[in-house]
Amino acid sequence: MKELKVQYEKVLLQYLLNQNESNLYIGQNLVRQLMKNNVSPEDLVSIHKQSLENILPDLPETVSISFDFLIEVMIHFGLKIKEHQSLIMRQEEMRIEMEIASKIQNLLLETKIPKPSGLDIGMVSVPVRKMNGDYVHFMHDDGNFFSVAVTDVVGKGVPAALCMSMVKYGLDTLEYANNNPSYVLEVLNRIIEKSVDDSMFVSMFYGRYDLENDIFTFGSAGHEPAFFFNSAEQTFIDLDSKGLLLGVLPEMKYSQNDIHLSENDFIILITDGVTEFKKMANFNSRSYIKELAKSIRHLSAQEMCNKIFEDLNNLQDFSLEDDFTVVIIKKY
Amino acid sequence: MNVNVQFREEENILYGMIEGEIDTFTAPALREELEAITIKEKATVELDLSKVTFMDSTGLGVIIAFYKKVLRENANLKLVHLSARLTRLFEITGLSELMDIESTKKVEPANECI
Amino acid sequence: MRNHPTVKIVTELDIVAARQLCRNVAKEVGFGVVDQARIATATSELAKNIFLYATTGEILVEKIENEDKKGIAIIAIDYGPGIENPHKLLEEGYPNKCGESEGLLGVKRLMDSIQIHSELGKGTVIRIEKWVK
Repeated sequence: MKELKVQYEKVLLQYLLNQNESNLYIGQNLVRQLMKNNVSPEDLVSIHKQSLENILPDLPETVSISFDFLIEVMIHFGLKIKEHQSLIMRQEEMRIEMEIASKIQNLLLETKIPKPSGLDIGMVSVPVRKMNGDYVHFMHDDGNFFSVAVTDVVGKGVPAALCMSMVKYGLDTLEYANNNPSYVLEVLNRIIEKSVDDSMFVSMFYGRYDLENDIFTFGSAGHEPAFFFNSAEQTFIDLDSKGLLLGVLPEMKYSQNDIHLSENDFIILITDGVTEFKKMANFNSRSYIKELAKSIRHLSAQEMCNKIFEDLNNLQDFSLEDDFTVVIIKKY
Repeated sequence: MNVNVQFREEENILYGMIEGEIDTFTAPALREELEAITIKEKATVELDLSKVTFMDSTGLGVIIAFYKKVLRENANLKLVHLSARLTRLFEITGLSELMDIESTKKVEPANECI
Repeated sequence: MRNHPTVKIVTELDIVAARQLCRNVAKEVGFGVVDQARIATATSELAKNIFLYATTGEILVEKIENEDKKGIAIIAIDYGPGIENPHKLLEEGYPNKCGESEGLLGVKRLMDSIQIHSELGKGTVIRIEKWVK
């Protein structure tokens, strides 16, 4: 430290005598040594003050005192800068995590919409941020069944993305689209409950479509009820099935129900991002969606999904607050 | 937006008052606060949600984690004063079948932390 | 502890008084100008925390000594809401959620050591120490 002080004073004196670039350069090179010796900015101000007092014994006292003031300000300034830096560092960490999560998702969790005969299927799934907490899984094994799972994984980042791939592989492992929804939900619940931490869980609406008899069998694990539109009567029915979220308690039982679809009937599966409007507490979003869907029922399933998204996004001034997923299955 | 929780204990009942919005942004803080609470075995914990203005699924996760923590201590969790919106959230998710959700006496908020 | 010089923190002016007291004691102990400024800044942060979050409390200052060195200890006591997991606040990179924790990490850097004891609903005691080099 003493050596540094001597050096600084020497360099400063040189510069006071001759303000050229080479002396400035020498001064800059001193910084590396200052860093190595853990000299803080306020220490440097203090060194500067002492050097100046040595070089100019007649230095006005006010100038000297001004350096004391600068020392004080520097200490507080340094404190605040460090706080700011650590905040930025944390934000950067979070950004990286989200990036990894969205990579996992893009890599492992692509959804392909199947085209079973007699059905028109459409889907829109839009994440609020990079990583989508909603996930849709279809299965159609060329047999007489087609299945659909609409999920909302709670939690963010890598853990949520991993949980979602667990759901996907759980569903893939169950292999057959003709499994009972209650069975599928029970198995998935067991897998998730064993594997994830206490605050993570998944809501799922699972449906199986019997293509031969046009029977849709569905079960729900704490998920937003789906809509069923009966074209003959021009009415909606909520496809509601009681069941606890997946991953909360082990050994849960899930019930299932059947409905029959006739020509032009359709089912709308959604996540809570479609119905929950934070800024519109008293807005009955479910009746709004029903009216909207009814008015555009002549469109294809995909066009209906697009239109519903556009309309609801518009309604929220294009600032969705939650991941938004809507799947429509139309019988033609 | 912020969320804030205050606890006070009275004759083996731990009263908690949650105030604010519980969403993706505020949930981590609330989760930590609830994790830090010591729950005595077989105690009753009563959470007043009357001042919760919004709760999304992340917020629900915090409540579930807390519920599991309470269960581990063989204690009892009660949620009181839920708005219609919150009641619906607990019904859809099947949690109302699981948790004790009712309207009983009100918890006064203790001193506030900014 | 009651024998040590104390400043009660009730108004914002008291923060200045606490800084002044600790700076004077630091000078007596033999700290240099920069360290005096660091000690005053650390005191200021603690006093401000009391003023902002606990509303009332006090700052005590104590000269400390061991075989070969002299130092200063400053103790901040408040009867506010308390801090949960106070030790976590001193970990680098731990997210500060309540403003109360802001600055504590900085205080730690300005001093040689910091200890926190806190009880929810009862209050917080923070002790910081610095030794003359």
